[in-house]
Amino acid sequence: MSTNKTGQKAANKQSVTIIKPLKGWVSINFRELWNHRELLYFLIWRDIKIRYKQTIFGFLWAVIQPLMMMLVFTLFFGKLAGVPSNGIPYPLFCYAALLPWTLFSEGLTRASNSVDASLIQKVYFPRIILPTASILSPLIDFIFAIIPLLGLMFFYGYMPNERMLLFLPLCVLVLMLSLGVGLWLAAINVEYRDIRYVIPFTVQLLMFASPIIYSSNFVPPRFQVAYGLLNPISGILEGFRWAITGTTPPSLQQLFASTGIILVILVSGAYFFQRRQGAFADYI
Amino acid sequence: MNNIAVRVEGISKRYRIGTIATYKTIRESMVNVISAPFHRKGTADSSPIKHYIWALKDVSFEVERGQVLGVIGRNGSGKSTLLKVLSRIIQPTEGRAEIYGSVGSLLEVGTGFHPELTGRENILLNASILGMKKTDVKRKMDDIIDFAGDVVKNFIDTPVKHYSSCMYVRLAFSVAAHFNPEVLIVDEVLAVGDADFQEKSLGTMGEIAKSGRTVIFVSHNMNAIRKLCTHAILLESGKVTETGLVNDVAAKYVKAMSQTGV
Repeated sequence: MSTNKTGQKAANKQSVTIIKPLKGWVSINFRELWNHRELLYFLIWRDIKIRYKQTIFGFLWAVIQPLMMMLVFTLFFGKLAGVPSNGIPYPLFCYAALLPWTLFSEGLTRASNSVDASLIQKVYFPRIILPTASILSPLIDFIFAIIPLLGLMFFYGYMPNERMLLFLPLCVLVLMLSLGVGLWLAAINVEYRDIRYVIPFTVQLLMFASPIIYSSNFVPPRFQVAYGLLNPISGILEGFRWAITGTTPPSLQQLFASTGIILVILVSGAYFFQRRQGAFADYI
Repeated sequence: MNNIAVRVEGISKRYRIGTIATYKTIRESMVNVISAPFHRKGTADSSPIKHYIWALKDVSFEVERGQVLGVIGRNGSGKSTLLKVLSRIIQPTEGRAEIYGSVGSLLEVGTGFHPELTGRENILLNASILGMKKTDVKRKMDDIIDFAGDVVKNFIDTPVKHYSSCMYVRLAFSVAAHFNPEVLIVDEVLAVGDADFQEKSLGTMGEIAKSGRTVIFVSHNMNAIRKLCTHAILLESGKVTETGLVNDVAAKYVKAMSQTGV
């Protein structure tokens, strides 16, 4: 047995853990979260490590999946159905929106199943780390999937430009939205197993309700705010398209409306999750 | 200086019978919500005996710094529930407990082990889940691997799914043995592995106990309790019926067991 370092001991002298029934609004203890940042790192690291174990293509799958979807959509919606794409070549038009969509849907799906019984029955840590790790680990796939995007851009004569720096704030919005929805679903999923059967097809339906295979330009300007509120990811997807091609800027009102609703979903999700987390181990 | 490491005051935990093992469906809940206004709140609470069970009732005790406290009791007496409450895995229904200093719990070995990860990777992951700092783990890495034994050492960079169950347990226990918070909460599941390794792990527990750390230890194994603990509490149907030095409490428990013939 190695002994505790004296410095560590001194630092811990003051620390008191208080155990009592928690009621009502359980605020997030950000200092405690910060103390557990290494756990967050290791959970993301684990997700990434095991993701493509025992596959031949490995991380190529992060590229193949959105590319295949893009090809199928281009064939059926671009070529056969002739869906208009704002004058952008359809493959680029579609792929530019599939990229953030995959980030969102992967994070959401994983977050909603993230409350792992084998962990939360055996050890304490702030439970909110689990869905947070789940929405962050798909970022690695996102980064890989940017490579074929650059290929498509060169192929169709679009040069990377400074607008693409907008990827950063737009990604933050996507992650906030998937965390917000993920927190809600994860907390409900612990008690009601129905959620896990609802999620796959709901995500499919949501994809067709979002401007991926089509453009959101068909919505008249006066309804853009309502559209942004109803489907907060639509403005973000159009934002990505604009950052890449520069043709049709997204409606700003719609983006603001979306950002507002994303904040509402995130804060309420965190509230709901924190309220329920104390009882997770009783149900799971 | 405050010499108390753990103070437990009136901790109770209530479970609803029937919902512990089964999952509610959304439909059931909706029916409950809709029918709720038709029941007066008072009537629902006035017959709690039928629907609730107190797994812990008004449990109070104190553990001084450096004491090793054994928690004794037969199956279903609330030992595990108490451990889970003190580990902050479940919340108490009533009462309050304070733990002074860094606290960690070992309710099983190898929590979070992933079969696809190598031994070394699992050490990092498991240690982090237990609450160890990355720099500490990296520093102790060689000790942890050495402690697990030569067989594990040779396969330390192999995914643990290829390990024998004994190797797996040795590795898992080895991480646990290098986990040293000031207050340690340990479940009896540490009695794992082959007889040889059990001896070793008991020895390690003994070292931890002698190192001056505060330990709360649950076990059915009276020998282990007598060997490791300085003090003990006896739980019966969720209540503390005896506290004191380990030999006194253990003797009372053994006597009670022989009387009822269980």
